[in-house]
Amino acid sequence: MRLIDFLIRWSPLAILALAWEAAPRLGLINPQSLPPLSVVAVSLWQLAASGDLLTNGLQSLWRLVAGLGLAILIGVPLGAAMASNRIVNVIVAPIARALYPMPKSALIPVLLLWLGLGNASKITLIFLGCLLPVLMSAYNGVRGVEPVMLWSARSFGRGPLSVLFGVAVPAAMPELLAGIRSALALSFVLLVSSEFLMARDGLGYLISFLGDGGAYAPMFAAVIVVSSLGFAADRLFLGLMRRMLAWRG
Amino acid sequence: MARLISFFEATGSLFAILLLWYLATRYGTLSEFLLPSPASVLARIADDTASGDLPTSLLLTLRTAGLGFAIAALAGTTLGIAMARIRLVHWFFDPLISLGFPMPKIAFLPVFLLWLGPTAASQITIVAVSAIFPVVVAAFSGAEGVEKTQLWSARSLGASRHGLLWQIVLPAITPQLFTGLQIALPVALVTTIVAEMLTGSDGIGGIMLGAMRFADSAGVFAYIIVIAIAGTLVFRGMERLRARLLRWHPEQSH
Amino acid sequence: MSQIVFDAVRHGYRTKGRAEMVALSDVNLTVEQGEFVSLLGPSGCGKSTLLYLLGGFVPLQSGRILMEGKPVTGPGPDRGVVFQNFALFPWKTVRQNIAYGLERQGLTAQARTERVQQFIDMVQLRGFEDSFPSQLSGGMRQRVAIARTLAVDPRVLLMDEPFGALDAQTREIMHEELLAIMRRTPMTTIFVTHDVREAVYLSDRVAVMSSRPGRIKEVVTIDLGPRTGPDIMKSAKFNEYVEYLWSQVKTDAVKAMQ
Ligand SMILES: Nc1ncnc2c1ncn2[C@@H]1O[C@H](COP(=O)(O)OP(=O)(O)O)[C@@H](O)[C@H]1O
Ligand SMILES: [Mg+2]
Repeated sequence: MRLIDFLIRWSPLAILALAWEAAPRLGLINPQSLPPLSVVAVSLWQLAASGDLLTNGLQSLWRLVAGLGLAILIGVPLGAAMASNRIVNVIVAPIARALYPMPKSALIPVLLLWLGLGNASKITLIFLGCLLPVLMSAYNGVRGVEPVMLWSARSFGRGPLSVLFGVAVPAAMPELLAGIRSALALSFVLLVSSEFLMARDGLGYLISFLGDGGAYAPMFAAVIVVSSLGFAADRLFLGLMRRMLAWRG
Repeated sequence: MARLISFFEATGSLFAILLLWYLATRYGTLSEFLLPSPASVLARIADDTASGDLPTSLLLTLRTAGLGFAIAALAGTTLGIAMARIRLVHWFFDPLISLGFPMPKIAFLPVFLLWLGPTAASQITIVAVSAIFPVVVAAFSGAEGVEKTQLWSARSLGASRHGLLWQIVLPAITPQLFTGLQIALPVALVTTIVAEMLTGSDGIGGIMLGAMRFADSAGVFAYIIVIAIAGTLVFRGMERLRARLLRWHPEQSH
Repeated sequence: MSQIVFDAVRHGYRTKGRAEMVALSDVNLTVEQGEFVSLLGPSGCGKSTLLYLLGGFVPLQSGRILMEGKPVTGPGPDRGVVFQNFALFPWKTVRQNIAYGLERQGLTAQARTERVQQFIDMVQLRGFEDSFPSQLSGGMRQRVAIARTLAVDPRVLLMDEPFGALDAQTREIMHEELLAIMRRTPMTTIFVTHDVREAVYLSDRVAVMSSRPGRIKEVVTIDLGPRTGPDIMKSAKFNEYVEYLWSQVKTDAVKAMQ
């Protein structure tokens, strides 16, 4: 019964996969534009076997983790401080508000100018791009914590910092995690974009390198890898989120 | 007085940054290449505005983003509502949406470039593809949540089945729809800029990348500022529209 | 010929992977022109289902439902409905809500405006014409819903626990307003409630329903004469009816809580 439900639910993907295989083979689509799925699969295997996928993948992963990690490390305390301290708020809020609507991909050229083709430019881009969503969600989360909760913590004789990190941040967790989740999605977009444009390695670079060289089957394979990684990262984070929020029932 | 203070609080640190920027370029050791002075950036904005280059590329960028976003909004709303009402549509698209939503759609840009070439069409396509997911999900969950009794009331007051869509479902889902659109809008802008950079378009993205290649930092900074302001205006416009269309919504009454 | 006829109506709900839930089994009831009939029973006994079947919102599975001799096939303006959750259109103002049904009736704009105003006055919402439902209290919202329904001049009025979401005080006020409206424009009404006093106070007849499966167990004629005011609730006769009906409902109500 469950297996059947599963099959029914995901069968459209199988249909699409079949169409992908059949269309170029039947000559409905030029195989140059869309290599049959099986050809792409073989390319994927070769790409993996050659080690290209792993080296570039690790490079990308490092950029992602470093950029997003920094954004969380700095964004969460700063956002929490902004919500609980007026001076911090007055300093940070106008800047955050002014930068929030700017498409972060516009920073790519400056960062190239400043930091060159290496890791630093990508990590900084991801950091800057993710900082605002993380900061704003921490800010909104902590600001939305019910004052009663804070008062009762204070009345147990806890200091303000202990209240902030012991009570306010956990209570803000749902909002904060939702913000980090959207930052995670953005980090992939910025990673891939910057690697398309300014890199000597990484999965985005691999895609554009293969595409420029006319190696379309491996290019499709790399595109699939990147998309799947984005999907997997989101699912992983969602699982983590559910565990962390289990106390809410 | 109070207004002056709140104005200062709302903008003070921005002015402080401008001042720092000025001081750093005036007295600092940074080269004009690494950090152009505010004056040269402003001059650059003025020059390019006067020559018409800036308005042209800004319009091009806004056109790409706007068309892609509009397609995403229209197609996404239609698809979301259809998924909520028609079993078969839901069956087919549900796995695609759950799979595609968290993917970095920008990774498909080289695919569209392969299919459509470095054209406006491929830019608009990638923007629409990137922005459509939040719209579909919002429209779907909105349409699923429309109260049965509202539909029934309308029917017993004489609405046709067909009329329900326009008269009840669409207005009822606007709050959720706007939430989806407000998520999709920044995605559309980010994607537009990248697509322009990658296709060498004459839009802001392409111009910026060109400026970078010629080590023209004043140009790069000038266009960052322009796109930041344009983004702010577009966001504000969206908020305005939301407030206007959702005057009836309790959340809106602040 | 009775205005409304339920004849051997049966209805079951199917949920995936579960046995069919029989909500109504062999329901027979006739309602005459101008009568006010309450459906009284514990929550879950199928009152709403019966009303939805007559409204034409839920397709009939077995039996017959006749409205003025014709089988019910779908919703229509001849049967006006008022729901417990009001079901107003929150994006429309009070005026626009009330006008909604009239827009589909081919009236001139002038006639429509006049009729809308007439019904706004009737439910005493003058001054709130341009308010949105979110800006109104629960009682006011339900008055808008009643006006919206009555404005299209239905032949019968179906009300599904219309005052169930209101506080006790507002509910009493609404009772008086409903009675006043009925005095001015008498109309066949089927009124769903689980409140015994409300049923006795408003109705000509009360159909007591029992649950699992839902059926009509007894129909009691309430012979209290014209309702002149809430004082009637102090009369011995009123309280006899209440006590009797309560004893009829009680066993089922207790059962429903388990
Ligand atoms: N859409 C539905 N699907 C499945 N079961 C339903 C549905 N609507 C009502 N029921 C069930 O049918 C029974 C009668 O419901 P209802 O007519 O709403 O009763 P009442 O209005 O008297 O509370 C209840 O047990 C309820 O759980
Ligand atoms: Mg009910």
